[in-house]
Amino acid sequence: MAKIELTRTPFIKNALKSRYPQLAVFIIMLVGYIFAILAGLIGTPVGSHNFSIVFVWIAWWAILILVAVPFFGRGWCAVCPIPLPGEWLQRGAVLSPPDKKPKWLNLRVPKMFRNIWLQNISFLLLALFSSVLLTTPSITGIVLTTMLFAAIGLSTIFERRAFCRYLCPVGGFIGLYSQAAPIELRINDKHVCVTCEGKPCYNGSSAGYGCLWDVFPGGLTKNTYCGLCMECIRTCPHDNIAVNLRPFSADLAKPSTRMDEAFKAFIMLGSAMIYAGVLLGPWGALKDAAYNVGSSAWFVYVFIFLAIIFGILPCIFTLGIVRTKSSIPLKHRFASLSSTLIPLGLMFWVAFSLSFVLTNASYILAALSDPLGLGWNLFGTANTAWQPMLTSILAPAQTLALVGGLIWSARTAQKASNEVKVSSTPVIAYCFVLTSIMLWLLL
Amino acid sequence: MKRPELLTRILITVAIVGAVGAPLYVWSHSPLIHAQMSENGGWSPDILRAEVGKPLHLKLTSDDVMHGFAVGQMNMDAVDVEPGKVTEVTLTFDKPGIYTFFCTRWCGLNHWRMRGTIEVSGSPSEPEPATLPLYVTLNLDIDAPHDARVIPSGQPSAMRGQELATDLPVDLSAEYYRSHSPYQVFRDMPNTALTDSQRWDVVAYLWQSNTTKESLINGQKLYAQNCAACHGENGAGDGVFADDLKAAGDASAQTMTGAQAMKMQTPANFTDPTRMLGASPALLQGKILRGGMGTGMPMWGSIFTEDQIRDLVAYIYSFQFKYPK
Amino acid sequence: MKSRLALLSFLLAGLVVAFAPLPVQSVTPQARTFQMDARQFAYSPSDLQVNLGDTVTIQLLSTDVVHGLYVDGYDVSIEADPGQIATLTFIANKPGSFRFRCNVTCGAMHPFMIGKITVGTNNWLFRSLGLATLVIAGVMTSIKSKT
Repeated sequence: MAKIELTRTPFIKNALKSRYPQLAVFIIMLVGYIFAILAGLIGTPVGSHNFSIVFVWIAWWAILILVAVPFFGRGWCAVCPIPLPGEWLQRGAVLSPPDKKPKWLNLRVPKMFRNIWLQNISFLLLALFSSVLLTTPSITGIVLTTMLFAAIGLSTIFERRAFCRYLCPVGGFIGLYSQAAPIELRINDKHVCVTCEGKPCYNGSSAGYGCLWDVFPGGLTKNTYCGLCMECIRTCPHDNIAVNLRPFSADLAKPSTRMDEAFKAFIMLGSAMIYAGVLLGPWGALKDAAYNVGSSAWFVYVFIFLAIIFGILPCIFTLGIVRTKSSIPLKHRFASLSSTLIPLGLMFWVAFSLSFVLTNASYILAALSDPLGLGWNLFGTANTAWQPMLTSILAPAQTLALVGGLIWSARTAQKASNEVKVSSTPVIAYCFVLTSIMLWLLL
Repeated sequence: MKRPELLTRILITVAIVGAVGAPLYVWSHSPLIHAQMSENGGWSPDILRAEVGKPLHLKLTSDDVMHGFAVGQMNMDAVDVEPGKVTEVTLTFDKPGIYTFFCTRWCGLNHWRMRGTIEVSGSPSEPEPATLPLYVTLNLDIDAPHDARVIPSGQPSAMRGQELATDLPVDLSAEYYRSHSPYQVFRDMPNTALTDSQRWDVVAYLWQSNTTKESLINGQKLYAQNCAACHGENGAGDGVFADDLKAAGDASAQTMTGAQAMKMQTPANFTDPTRMLGASPALLQGKILRGGMGTGMPMWGSIFTEDQIRDLVAYIYSFQFKYPK
Repeated sequence: MKSRLALLSFLLAGLVVAFAPLPVQSVTPQARTFQMDARQFAYSPSDLQVNLGDTVTIQLLSTDVVHGLYVDGYDVSIEADPGQIATLTFIANKPGSFRFRCNVTCGAMHPFMIGKITVGTNNWLFRSLGLATLVIAGVMTSIKSKT
């Protein structure tokens, strides 16, 4: 299957190049985000009837993990409002670059932080407190506010979108999983870039800003760090940058060998399994431990959580691949083969999310009409009763996702194994065992 | 600055100010009464003001679990106060005074402490004299032990008692019933050829003739909603909160001058004949009205009407006596 | 050509594993009663096992606040106030594993107050595991045929 260049269609190209469609979406998202903060801070403390919990952890999460990431990769980053206020400050403009640029520090992020370890940590911070975060509006409000102000602060100190690229907990896994998506932004002809003077795609020009994600578009071979902000499409004087439709997980044909990305795969895989057991399982003691932050049970829970993610899962994985003889060092093989867990982890999250989204989606209608729980009825749906949706298709959908994920990761394992010249059998067996556990946890 | 840039900045500013300002404005102009479990603060606000004859519109919401709302000694149906949703209720008061509103759906061990007051002003402003409860006029010490010296061997039957009572000079009046315990009636019954068991049957009949079917049905409903959680669905003092009350025990002891130390304890067992048959309706009414002074038994004086307490007392005795269906 | 045939046969096998009717063990349905405590945020017991056709009665006792019990798939529910046992009776005529959950907001972790009832055997789980095994068999076969 070859690539289809979407930006060859003038309608699409102009829609992406013009700042106005993007701005319209930005304003809607920013207003929604700020409203979610307000709802969390002044609205009802009852999560299921508060806009912040319902629209962040049910509606937005559902769209993110079921649609945006699998089909559009970093598509959410393209419209996310978090970097906007800081960016407008940093740029001194809300549209095209101004004549006089404001003098912010514009420092480069120090080398030791130019990886996704900070994002791994920030995701884990949210994950360990997730029972409280997902159910308490004021905590969600505070976290959203913190992310917004962190982004603003970082924009005044560092260049480009430092928060998005190096700190955002969501960006960490969206980036990893975007490798599996069927769209990409790439240059058309690299010879054009060789002779290009000034490289405005990276350095900016009067038409637009240099890559906000600190990526050189000419060298993009994977989706992982491109946030689809479209600035390079605006600045490229040779019309050499395109958005393409391509086969799913094309990026995984050449797996990354970075350890931070490898561990991100384990973090996401492990969290999905732990959440399936703790949140959706019938074991009350686990839920108590997860919710009672600060108690000794919670510390045990945190320890076990981290042990699974950083110890048990990677160790068993390594044991499986350590025996296969290869000229390539173990660390390289480990990182490369862990790309197998990208489609597996994505489908684990899809299967897990389907359950609580379909069960609780009816809250969306009620929260739309009465977002703060004050007794409003804006659209007449405030008294929509809680009713799980599509329950008859939930189990088959979860099986499809998990078994589909197994097929997908097996094929990815084959490709990765070819790259590092080892057998794919241990990795495939690993995926099979974990998939079976996830099936048992969810069904 | 170019025109589009300026316009866009204005648009963004308006959008953000609107997103922040509009909800803040509406929120600050929507006074709600928040219901929270007693451990989390109870009703907020817990003092309301009203005027005689002027309808009081209230908007209630719960911040945690399912609660309910009703005003004591007023003929109103309780309304549910649901988490995250708003319930509207309108109250009109005929007489001035201090009314008590309370939670009507069990929301934890301290559910009964979830109360507030409505201060109603207006005419007539002269205070009405209240009638003293019977235990006060009888000078009963309702905290003193009231064990029956003799108890029946089986459950006394009011039907059998009715047959036996036809030949006996038994005082079936309400005054006699209210001021005497079953044991006292048993003890004071004139010497006849009846066996002890038969005398208890007559006592049961006396109790039954001061009870109506409606009274028992109403009493059972009140009991289920208000008492069963501690005293048990079957009256054995083994309700869901009984263990918590017992565990609070010694740590909760409070002393008052001249009275014995009261501490939280296992709720009374209404199926225990020794305890129950030594208690008169006046004593039980007193306990319900005044509460347990630190034992964990709530005071219901401002909540239940006299009729409701009468019905409850009648129902409580039905654990001891066999009444006709 | 050969690989297309292999793929087709695996697909067919997959459909059989997923949808072929299994022989139903006829067990005489009986009436079962469960006494279940509900507290913030768990049921006790939380994992029930009954046979297909049983008449299931759950006596729900709330021990702290008002809780509900809603059974996925059967769409039946009850609500229990502390002090008043609520009884839910239904006939377990749908086989499989179903979650039951609280449907009266009872605090923060209310959406995760969940238990499980299995009617007969959790056939769908076994079918899914079967499908996963089939996938692995198919993948290993294709690897073997390539080497």
